[in-house]
Amino acid sequence: MLRFEKRDKTPVQLRLMVPVASVLLGMLVGSIVMLFAHVNPLRVYGAIVSGAFGSAYRFSETLVIAVPLILISVGLTLAYRMKFLNIGAKGQYIIGAIFGSYLALFGPATMSRPLLLTLMMVLGTLGGALWAVIPALLKVYWNVNEVIATLLLNYIASYILWYFMYGTWRDPGSHGFPLSKNFALNAQLPRILPPPSRLHIGLYFALVAAVIVWIIIRKTRFGYEARVIGENERAARYAGINVVKTVIIAAAISGGLAGLAGIAHTSAVLRILQLEINSDYGYTAIIAAWLAGLDPLVAVVVSVLLAALEAGGYQIQIVMRVPFGIVGVIESSILFCLLAGEIFTHYRITLARRIAA
Amino acid sequence: MNPTFGSILIKVLAGAIQSGTILLLPTLGEVLTERSGVLNLGLEGLMLIGAFFGFLGAMKTGNPYIGLLIGMAAAAGAAAIHAFISVTLRGNQTVTGLALAIFGMGLTSFYGDRWVSQRLTVAIKPMAIPGLSRIPVLGPILFSQDLIVYMGYVLVAVFWFLLFKTKIGVNLRAVGENAKAADAMGINVVGTRYFWTILGGALAGAGGAYITCGIHPYWLNGITSGRGWIAVALVVFAMWNPVNAFLGSFLFGSIEALQLQLQAGGTYINSALLSMLPYLTTFVVIIVATLIVRVRHVGTPKELGVPYAREDR
Amino acid sequence: MDGQEQLMLVMNDITKRFPGIVANDHVSFSLRKGEIHTLLGENGAGKSTLMNVLDGIYYPDEGEIFIEGKRVDLRSPLDSMKHGIGMIHQHFMLVDSLSVIENVVLGLESQGFFLDRKAVARQIEAIATKYNFRVDPYAKIWQLSVGEQQRVEIIKTLIKGARILILDEPTAVLTPQESDELFGILREMKAEGKSIVFISHKLNEVMAVSDRITVLRKGRLVGTVDTAAITERELAKMMVGRDVLFRLERKEAEPGREILNVTDAQAYSDRGLVALNKLSITVHAGEIMGVAGVAGNGQVELAECITGLRHLAGGHISVDGVDVTNASPCTLAAAGVNYIPADRLGVGLVPNLSTVENAMLRKYRQNPVSNGTFINYGAACTYADGLIEKYDIAVPLPNAPVKVLSGGNMQKLLLAREIGENPRLLIAEHPTRGLDVGATEFVRRALLEQRDSGVGVLLISEDLDEILMVADQVAVMYEGRIMGVVDVHDVDVAQIGLMMAGATTAVKS
Repeated sequence: MLRFEKRDKTPVQLRLMVPVASVLLGMLVGSIVMLFAHVNPLRVYGAIVSGAFGSAYRFSETLVIAVPLILISVGLTLAYRMKFLNIGAKGQYIIGAIFGSYLALFGPATMSRPLLLTLMMVLGTLGGALWAVIPALLKVYWNVNEVIATLLLNYIASYILWYFMYGTWRDPGSHGFPLSKNFALNAQLPRILPPPSRLHIGLYFALVAAVIVWIIIRKTRFGYEARVIGENERAARYAGINVVKTVIIAAAISGGLAGLAGIAHTSAVLRILQLEINSDYGYTAIIAAWLAGLDPLVAVVVSVLLAALEAGGYQIQIVMRVPFGIVGVIESSILFCLLAGEIFTHYRITLARRIAA
Repeated sequence: MNPTFGSILIKVLAGAIQSGTILLLPTLGEVLTERSGVLNLGLEGLMLIGAFFGFLGAMKTGNPYIGLLIGMAAAAGAAAIHAFISVTLRGNQTVTGLALAIFGMGLTSFYGDRWVSQRLTVAIKPMAIPGLSRIPVLGPILFSQDLIVYMGYVLVAVFWFLLFKTKIGVNLRAVGENAKAADAMGINVVGTRYFWTILGGALAGAGGAYITCGIHPYWLNGITSGRGWIAVALVVFAMWNPVNAFLGSFLFGSIEALQLQLQAGGTYINSALLSMLPYLTTFVVIIVATLIVRVRHVGTPKELGVPYAREDR
Repeated sequence: MDGQEQLMLVMNDITKRFPGIVANDHVSFSLRKGEIHTLLGENGAGKSTLMNVLDGIYYPDEGEIFIEGKRVDLRSPLDSMKHGIGMIHQHFMLVDSLSVIENVVLGLESQGFFLDRKAVARQIEAIATKYNFRVDPYAKIWQLSVGEQQRVEIIKTLIKGARILILDEPTAVLTPQESDELFGILREMKAEGKSIVFISHKLNEVMAVSDRITVLRKGRLVGTVDTAAITERELAKMMVGRDVLFRLERKEAEPGREILNVTDAQAYSDRGLVALNKLSITVHAGEIMGVAGVAGNGQVELAECITGLRHLAGGHISVDGVDVTNASPCTLAAAGVNYIPADRLGVGLVPNLSTVENAMLRKYRQNPVSNGTFINYGAACTYADGLIEKYDIAVPLPNAPVKVLSGGNMQKLLLAREIGENPRLLIAEHPTRGLDVGATEFVRRALLEQRDSGVGVLLISEDLDEILMVADQVAVMYEGRIMGVVDVHDVDVAQIGLMMAGATTAVKS
């Protein structure tokens, strides 16, 4: 019979081993799934790597995916450390894209590019922040479960987009398709590499955001207070921390970053507002934040790796005709192993014989 | 009364029952799972697993009902993983559920690729209940459906009865409200949670398989169209009560059926607001449910998402 | 043996050891049919442990148990249940949102598949009528008062066929009226031939309701007496003992100005019962005011009110002359009030944060640890290192979460942190609970040092020996009131025992 004994200290080797083992096990599970479909896992993994990193262009495409993942997952590390389980990043992304695009589509056409883009980014950030503050307020004041609240807000955000895209924001010249007007040049966030690369200055936003959030968590009073709240709310109150203020601000940061990701990606990569704006990055970023152990700098690395997996996945779909779905299988398997492995860091497993008479 | 309007209404409502059943099955399963204290967000993945393996099973055996059972078994197996990580290993249930959803979506999209658009030769067909199906209005809506819909009616009644009129139901509710007390009274908390999580998974699989073995007897990537997520919301809307789950599924199903009619007419704008309505309503419901808990002590099961560890006593 | 057939239960020579402590040391206890037998003793005397052995929760290291003359082996609560033993714990095992019927039926195999509410309701009402009380079987638990909930627990044991009932401090959560109702029920049950073990520390109740009393002290049996043949005073002496207490080497106290003044404080516990009942107490600078009393008489609530964690419904609190009634924890901290809570990992420390991060919990807003926005972890580390060295705290890994530290070191950390704030008033609540000998002595010396440097110390402890060893003044707290304050040099242990058990009010200036 298995018995769990609490550990008093977690050896460093174990803490490192669990994520590494999870990645390997996850890849193993992916391999098994592939074998059942008569697909060669080694070729697939090789193709993923080359698809993600094989050429300068491919690498830049990987980074294009990484940018929103970094922005969102970095914000989530702060929110999750405070035990605010924000799974509404998708909705915050969408609302951010909507807010920012409003200015792009209906703002004064003669505004200078730097000003317009700055306002768009700010508006997008505010939109995302708003979409996160609503469930945060519900949680601090009424103790409403934020998992379900943010999940529902994802759907509501999607339908808001749908409403606009089939409604007044639809470009009359698009033959009935739910597409907006193409963004004018002054509404396009600039790219940093020559075509065909689509990598844009959002990359800098992402890296700066990662560093800033890291500084917040590690070096500021606010980060300290957020962590205390997440670990022991009573002690936080005793220490005089303003729980309401801290939770709201952290939620706003998390949502704001997701909103920024939304408008940046839409403006720089898509250059048009439509139904499919890659908002599912909001879910992938959750995996990234969790795999990163809620550390913002590690989240950068993990986001790039997950982006590589996705970019490589597109490649294997086109070139090898291997369906993209295998990416989801690998990602989720790694996550399963990590979740299962976490218990080993807190408890020691022993076999206990029944107590003798 | 305009005869065309009436017949359209009946058609819409009959369709609503069908669409509703797709939602009803996973919702019922999750109501019971959450009543035991386990949160399973991975219903979308489970439904897809049920849909795909059900389809595969029906293809190979030529019998859609056997296909359905195979789909249920596959989903139950996947739900067992969730149970293992959530209950035994005490992992974070929210993230585990999400991983399960993504796993299901990825797995079925991967395997399903070569089956896209292949059609089942034999699918689940409607079986009108003799006598009852001739009742005006209600007959065509409620009693001219297929076996799975009828199973849905039965399950609603069975689960309602089980939950509130039997000892099993009392034990189940105790586990979800106060696991420590249930344990002290000799109830097997871990076993209860495993059982209802796996059963919930099987039902979610049934919902998915119902699509591919009956309503749309072919495979398409993501054929469940997010219904698993709707089911998660529906559980809250239903306040964890099987009868409300039926009403809610019917309501959401009506909206879906109505949308189809409207789309034929080319009115998309209303459609967006209409589609939003169920989620908006559920959003309000969860706020209300949380506030009600303070006053009437009913609502979200207190142990939802909280792993149970006996030595923490 | 003469009268053996009369004995429902015999526990012989029970010994139960836990790491570092012998909870029961060769204790023998017997229970006659149809009697109410009280187990009396202070906290830590071993009463609960002995009954947990009987309830199958603990298995004794030595000793035997006989029920109606037959030897039994009780390895789980289910075993005890089968032998007719039912225990009603202090913390009820009830599901709030379910009804009485549903709670009674939980886990019962005999009831079958269907829930026949009417049949169970009839059973419940039959029991209630038999013992002369009322309960609504269809009511939900959350709708019931605490007294009614306790009756549901009693019904649960009776429905399972209990012939021996154990009640663990049942009146701790009851109003006086509900306590009287409970005693009525117990007397009815006794008349029916049930055997009852009643664990308590309240002498007036014990004298009123029991036939025999067994007194335990520090894990050992002091004696078993007939209630009719003993007085409260003698009981108190048995309970508290007349050990020769050694006192720590210390200077005489030089009490200064009034540091803490609590007047007519009224407050409610989490359950809504009266916790502080017009309580008044004063602490002077440079003295240790010990508050003795059995846990559960309002001590926690008193500490929480003084530190701003609980709302004061009536009365006033002033610190160093300044009224701080219902001030926030922040204001109180600024006024020089520091708190070492009994629940270390509850309000005191954050289990998953490191030693440094816990050490700075009170200082993180000020220089040099913080300049407003940023935290200088270097300065925080230096501060923490200072504390670690000064108080000799053993920290295995510098960044390890604090929950990894031993109880003693956690307490030292807490002490170090709070003392490091240069308090004017230090509230120490059960500060040596669960600590080994070395850590215990360390903590007590630290408190004395504080007192010597002019801090006013309010020492709340359930260990009377500790108070007698450390404090200058001894106040006894019972049911939310101070029964009396005595200078430690003038202490009459028996009288203290009486006060602790609610017997007399003696005020000495």
